[in-house]
Amino acid sequence: MRLLPATTRYYVLLSAGLFAVGSGVLYVGINRAVRNEVGEQLQNHRQELVARVAAGQPLPEPVFRQQYVVSTRPRPLGYSDTVLLDPTEGELVPHRQLTFRVARAGQLPVWVTLRKSLVETDELLAATVGSMLAVMALLLLGIVLLHRYLSARLWAPFRHTLAQLRAYDLQQHQPLSLPASAIEEFAELNQALTHLSRRLVADYESLREFTANAAHETQTPLAIMQAQLEQLLQVPALADDAAAAPLVANLYGATRRLSRLHQALGLLSRIENGQYTEAVPLDLAALIEEKAEQLAPLLEARGLAPHLQLAPAPPRWLHPGLADSLLHNLLHNAIRHNLPGGDVTVRLSATALEVSNPGPAVSGDPARFFERFRKHNAASESPGLGLSIVQHICTYYGFGLAYEFTPAGARHTLRVTFGPDREPGSPVLHATAELAGG
Amino acid sequence: MKILLVEDEPALRSTLIEALRQGGYVVEVAADFEQAYEKVKLYRYDCVLLDLTLPDGNGLDLLRALKAESSTTGVLVISARNGLDDRVAGLDLGADDYLAKPFHLSELNARLRAIIRRRRFQGQNHLVFRDLVVWPEQAEVQVNGEALTLTRKEYDLLLYLLANPGRVLTKEAIAEHLCGDSVDAADSFDFIYTHLKNLRKKLQEKGAENYIRTMYGVGYKLSAE
Repeated sequence: MRLLPATTRYYVLLSAGLFAVGSGVLYVGINRAVRNEVGEQLQNHRQELVARVAAGQPLPEPVFRQQYVVSTRPRPLGYSDTVLLDPTEGELVPHRQLTFRVARAGQLPVWVTLRKSLVETDELLAATVGSMLAVMALLLLGIVLLHRYLSARLWAPFRHTLAQLRAYDLQQHQPLSLPASAIEEFAELNQALTHLSRRLVADYESLREFTANAAHETQTPLAIMQAQLEQLLQVPALADDAAAAPLVANLYGATRRLSRLHQALGLLSRIENGQYTEAVPLDLAALIEEKAEQLAPLLEARGLAPHLQLAPAPPRWLHPGLADSLLHNLLHNAIRHNLPGGDVTVRLSATALEVSNPGPAVSGDPARFFERFRKHNAASESPGLGLSIVQHICTYYGFGLAYEFTPAGARHTLRVTFGPDREPGSPVLHATAELAGG
Repeated sequence: MKILLVEDEPALRSTLIEALRQGGYVVEVAADFEQAYEKVKLYRYDCVLLDLTLPDGNGLDLLRALKAESSTTGVLVISARNGLDDRVAGLDLGADDYLAKPFHLSELNARLRAIIRRRRFQGQNHLVFRDLVVWPEQAEVQVNGEALTLTRKEYDLLLYLLANPGRVLTKEAIAEHLCGDSVDAADSFDFIYTHLKNLRKKLQEKGAENYIRTMYGVGYKLSAE
């Protein structure tokens, strides 16, 4: 439920209550005022009559039977209410009457009753409630219109903030830039959000730097470990002990894996840092053929047939290292998750690169395949960074990346859709420059 | 074959010296930029193994200095920076090859040999190992004077073994040599086995001795005995 309709609802409830009470009070008040007024008028008439009689004039003859009645028999004195039938309208009309005794000199006293019609209750009620309802309707309409106006006008900065938050991407390494609002609450909100995003960016930066530095700094000790383990393997004494050599060899393999992992992480953080600004025109078709040739032993070992359908395409401006990594990871992924005797099909057109392979259906959200350390098989020795690297490279160059599973033939397809070719040296992220500037 | 090793990390330096000496090289060492600069000015080397990150300078400057003299010294850049850009910069400046740390010593050996071979003989040379003769420029192999037909990968594998006689080669090193260093060795052990089996078979058919030894659980070795 939106804030304004919610507040409007309470406004309406409150005003409805107030109007009900108000209508009651108004009705009672008007009723009493009318009766008082009518009573006063009757009193005035009485005084006039009494004065007239005292002056020796006779009582006037009754003209309207209902309003002026003279009786020779005694009647209860004072004010009272009565209801008379209005013969013309055929309705019972409430009247206020004042009865008093008039003593005439030399004559028998008479009892005079003066009557005045009161406003009909229903009419009064209808008028009161009607006018109140009209006012209330106007007021509610006013509230609704005012709120609509306010939500369009006063809440605009809020919606602006919301839109900015929705579009916010930490990967761009930019804190939020929210305008200072004239409304204090929104200004505070924007200030708090800007502060929060600054902290987020700073934290993210330090985490990123940490990853990059950790990946870099570990390479030297790893290089020492790897070199010394390889030297250890050359020691003749090792050959005498059947158990010792495989132990060292396993250590060696593990060191290699660790360094590979760090290289991949380092690559990811350098892509995020936007460090690959150089670009050269590359013939992707030739690169793919080269890669397929390089990976041929892997394909052969698994009995996989490479199908390359490479349409001639204009050269693309890419960083050679990133292009190599992109193709390598796409092909390697297709080889790794293949079926024995399957195939790896690469389709290159001017607009897209498609790598597909048969393989068992995989459970889980396809979007998560691109996450870091995402493994199809938990026991796999691969750290599961390949597709994450592919995704980062695609994002870096503004390429689309989609995964698709076709149940017919159980084929997995990864499609890279090229965007319009950019000028060399102007990738999507200008992270370093922007950071330095902002 | 005289090598200058420029490396600031003592532990790695001593291991590299040991491995290079085992490979039959005469090794001189420089621990920083200044030492290295002095040595390349004073002496001649077949190849300089150059670490780019030195405490008192950038290895690329040393490379520039060497190339400015149009020296015939080969340069193999080794760097922990692993920036793809470092590699491009190094090769653009005239380095013969580039190896990212950490690397396999056997791979270093193979690259070093290839550089020296190219520089010394301008390609007009051949390798002899027992009854084997290889002409790397023509990619030809003879066993006892008889031509041996090998697939591309088998040939690469043989050359790699020949560059490291007597050294134990790990499966990881072989796999990465054949398929590029981004290939996960775990994925590729089966194909190494296949290629080696085929290579051995072809060698034996031509009457070569079986000098490729399997080191159980470790890898392979070209036995010099």
